[in-house]
Amino acid sequence: MNRAWTRWVPAAAVPAVIAAGVLAGSIPARAGDPLPDKSPAQILTLLGGHRTTGFSGTVEQVSDLGLPELPAVGPTSGPASAGGTASLLDVLTGAHTARIYVDGPARLRVQVLDRLAERDVIRRDQDVWFYNSKDNSAAHLTLPGFASDLPLPVPPDPAGLPAPDAPNPPAPDMRMPVPPTPADLAETFLAMAEDSTAVTVGPEVQVAGRPAYSLELAPRTDGTLLEKVAIAVDGQTGMPLRVTVRARGQAQPAFEAGFTSLSLDAPDDGLFTFVPPPGATVKELQVPPMPYRPGMPTLPGGPGMVMPDHMPGDVNELRHADKPGPSVTGTGWETVIGFPAPPDGQGAQLTDTILKDPFLSQAAVVVPGGRLLSTSLVNVLLTDDGRIFVGMVPADRLQAAAGAA
Amino acid sequence: MPSSATPSELEQPNDAEKPSDSEQPGRGSPAVSVPGRRGGSVRAVPAGASSLSLLASELATLFRRRRTMAMLVALAAIPVLIAVAVRLSSAVPPGRGPAFLDRISQNGLFVAVTAMLVSVPLFLPLTIGVVAGDTIAGEASLGTLRYLLVAPAGRVRLLLVKYAGALAFCLAAPITVALAGAAIGASLFPIGPVTLLSGDVVQPPEAALRLLLIAAYLAVSLAGLSAIGLFLSTMTVVPVGAMAATVVVSVASQIADQLPQLEWLHPWLFTHFWFGFADVLRQPVLWDSFASNALLQAGYIAVFGALAYARFVTRDILS
Repeated sequence: MNRAWTRWVPAAAVPAVIAAGVLAGSIPARAGDPLPDKSPAQILTLLGGHRTTGFSGTVEQVSDLGLPELPAVGPTSGPASAGGTASLLDVLTGAHTARIYVDGPARLRVQVLDRLAERDVIRRDQDVWFYNSKDNSAAHLTLPGFASDLPLPVPPDPAGLPAPDAPNPPAPDMRMPVPPTPADLAETFLAMAEDSTAVTVGPEVQVAGRPAYSLELAPRTDGTLLEKVAIAVDGQTGMPLRVTVRARGQAQPAFEAGFTSLSLDAPDDGLFTFVPPPGATVKELQVPPMPYRPGMPTLPGGPGMVMPDHMPGDVNELRHADKPGPSVTGTGWETVIGFPAPPDGQGAQLTDTILKDPFLSQAAVVVPGGRLLSTSLVNVLLTDDGRIFVGMVPADRLQAAAGAA
Repeated sequence: MPSSATPSELEQPNDAEKPSDSEQPGRGSPAVSVPGRRGGSVRAVPAGASSLSLLASELATLFRRRRTMAMLVALAAIPVLIAVAVRLSSAVPPGRGPAFLDRISQNGLFVAVTAMLVSVPLFLPLTIGVVAGDTIAGEASLGTLRYLLVAPAGRVRLLLVKYAGALAFCLAAPITVALAGAAIGASLFPIGPVTLLSGDVVQPPEAALRLLLIAAYLAVSLAGLSAIGLFLSTMTVVPVGAMAATVVVSVASQIADQLPQLEWLHPWLFTHFWFGFADVLRQPVLWDSFASNALLQAGYIAVFGALAYARFVTRDILS
């Protein structure tokens, strides 16, 4: 009987070994030599000058904007076409995994891996296909000839992109007269950002098993919700590997998208060929008259594509929609943009329309003077008279701006 | 091959000073015909039989049991039920019911996929719970455990053989669903190229291969639950208790997996990757979840295997 306790040793040892293994695995592996030190300008040069045109990888995107979670969808989820806000919020809440295959600027495939389903965007040259496995629906879009809009460097060989509506395309060096070098762009960017933003280099990170520089952009003011944006730049190729946006007072990143695995080999060409499967409903889409980045509305924001200054919305686009121009108060990261109420009393109607959306009505909180749509990065104030104020600032600043205007 | 007893087997009866433990050879006849067991002749292996023959006899006993057959038939009935229901009803609109249900009328092979999807949360764990919970406790309740240990099989070897039998059932159960689904699908619906989740189309032979891959994925998924069932089975002599406890554990784990408050726990739940088999239906196949699942299940097998070993070799065998 005195040896009975030794029989329990494995039962105690196995969990201990597993725990030790997990702990050891969570410590970032310091494989190989550390990257040589670089200044922010040098890293930006590296980032701007990267020549990766073909790769495949898995991207994980996590958002924690403080929005209420949508009810979890089980294996029997509702129709995928639940509505515009729902699909947008789907990207903004929770976590997503996507596989991305890129071969040159005009061949792309993005697979958003849902639970028991998948959404695909496949582009080969001018043909773009969207596919949703939930309802077995496909949509096709023919891009205008000029679109080579992937955020990738254009390869020196123009043969890959025969523009159908340009019978004799000009030589590539004429099409792009004197492109500024990445180093010039880096200097320009740093000079522009200098006043409002501190650009620093953080400690080296490991992304998708690759050593990467961490370029950190932090606002110089406390008056914004944004705390920091960190971009992981691959030490070898200069490819952006991960973007992390942190909000003030929140432990988890408000937004993070980054590679969990990455292969720099060109993917199999067959992946970029899409034929609608039998039984699928196929819709032909028209290119919008003013193409605003045509292509991938369902993209969950790959790394490098989302810059913080694009997030609050394109001011110029909205300016066309409203007759009286939007008002801008504050500078830099504290900017508050105010949209005046539509004329002839449609303001209340607009607010009604917005609040009719089941999700928005749930998320909007009644505050003095209107309703507040609050996220950890951006606040939106809908005043009772129909004006809208947007800014990456705390709610009281929006209310102050609304009161002053 | 008349295998000689290895030292590890010889050290088994080390707590034999207890009069209750009848492990020592010579206490009973090794060729005793065991009451209450079908295929008892298979069980009556001569002393010193190799592990392989012990495993063979265990498998034969397991799969000749009427209960095992009934469970496999019940599992096979799931795809039949689904296929007949879809055949008799009007077309299923996309997005209603379980995933893939709307594809069945176009392609019979989806019957197998839908049936496996439907049986993952409850039916498969239920049958595994019955088999794994019965492993040791069943023998104990029948009073046959001591006879099994009379043959110098050793407790460790018996535990391993019992677990191997449960694993064999883990493989047999999803394959039964897949084969029955493919068969009924082929007889009621057209068979053609299969649309994968990615929108790509594969030919029926490759689709059949992917069905088998899904079955393999589910077999791996259930291995951890089997280890838990094996451990629970060493805790009691009432097999129904172990069976019920195993099923309850699987249901509780799935519920915990749904609670966002327990998000930190989710990757550690053995049910977490159960629905990841859909990754086999992507183009190209996404192996990440297969690998994560296998690693997780291996962890559960190690932990609960060690627990079962500790419990089983230290316990008094009274029946």
